[in-house]
Amino acid sequence: MTVVIGFEGSANKIGIGIIKDGEVLSNPRRTYITPPGQGFMPSDTARHHRAVVLTVLQEALEQAGLKPADVDCVAYTKGPGMGAPLVTVALVARTVAQLWGKPLLGVNHCIGHIEMGRLITKANNPTVLYVSGGNTQVGYRLHRAAWQLFGQISNDPSPGYNIEQMAKKGTQYVELPYTVKGMDVSFSGILSYIEITQHCYNGDELPVALQETVFSMLVEITERAMAHCGSQEVLIVGGVGCNLRLQEMMGVMCKERGAKLFATDERFCIDNGAMIAQAGWEMFRSGQVTELEDSWITQRYRTDEVEVTWRD
Amino acid sequence: MAADGETNPETGKLEFSLDVPFPSSREATIALRSLSPDREPRRGGISKHLSVSGSTLSVRWSADEARILRVSVNSFLDHLSLVIETMEMFGPPVAL
Repeated sequence: MTVVIGFEGSANKIGIGIIKDGEVLSNPRRTYITPPGQGFMPSDTARHHRAVVLTVLQEALEQAGLKPADVDCVAYTKGPGMGAPLVTVALVARTVAQLWGKPLLGVNHCIGHIEMGRLITKANNPTVLYVSGGNTQVGYRLHRAAWQLFGQISNDPSPGYNIEQMAKKGTQYVELPYTVKGMDVSFSGILSYIEITQHCYNGDELPVALQETVFSMLVEITERAMAHCGSQEVLIVGGVGCNLRLQEMMGVMCKERGAKLFATDERFCIDNGAMIAQAGWEMFRSGQVTELEDSWITQRYRTDEVEVTWRD
Repeated sequence: MAADGETNPETGKLEFSLDVPFPSSREATIALRSLSPDREPRRGGISKHLSVSGSTLSVRWSADEARILRVSVNSFLDHLSLVIETMEMFGPPVAL
């Protein structure tokens, strides 16, 4: 039996979750909410996390019914993300790991999303589309974040969910720039196009157009990745991954290819502590730990920088 | 907590020092190891050195500009208060 506590705070959510051998014992979370159209600034976000992190930690232990002594490993997000919020959460993780005499483990945030998606859906060997506020990637290719677009939309509870609600009002499709080059997508140009042309529309069309265009691009590159790898499974993770229209469009593509689609709901799609605990669980079981002196946070941390020791 | 700041006449650099007492050397060491891993964000212009002697955590800064020094000291104090609060809520440290 291995119990791992995971600390996540790389963006505007602070979450602490506890995982015991694939079972989520607790996963409390708080969101720093800013007005629509305003992003979250690093120092304000860090202040938010600072104010609630210890309360969330207490909740995580209480809801799991565990004492610190029951925890085997303390996992935290090493990166990628915003520096100040990452440091705030890492400080607490480092301190409790030492107070409780437990090993520490720095986790790549993107790996957390992927491992949590695999745990919840039981997908076997999927092609993963990771699409969130800050990061968009298929497999290990990196793309300019969908945040550039969805960041303009309210982040409570997540832009991916909110645009879905907004898009339900629209009926007409407006053509937006569509850029796919091989395995790369480009979202630049879409936002400028919307800004320049939005006075021509009543406001209901643009969320629909944005969803249809961006998601078509994502489905196209996901299908290409599957064709390259001979994969018959797709797993969608990340905060925008809980968008049902994206799941629906991906589902159509999967059906045509005879492939299977896996997705999770907002509890585990949106940043949370359990996903860090789950990735930490896999890493810890395969023998990884992070020494305190190596536990610095990093704003840039590519998914393919992580050595995967827990899977063949 | 004792603090002291001055300009070093030899190097011309601004210096600041801080001594923080802890209940034990164990706790001072925990604070040191929690606060040490992250480097100063800016390259050059400032250096910070942490050490523990007995149950006291000592920090020494040396900087070219007051503005950079102030930012670093402020941020350190924020971090320190979070570590101390964490110790108060989730300590004391288990016996090794």
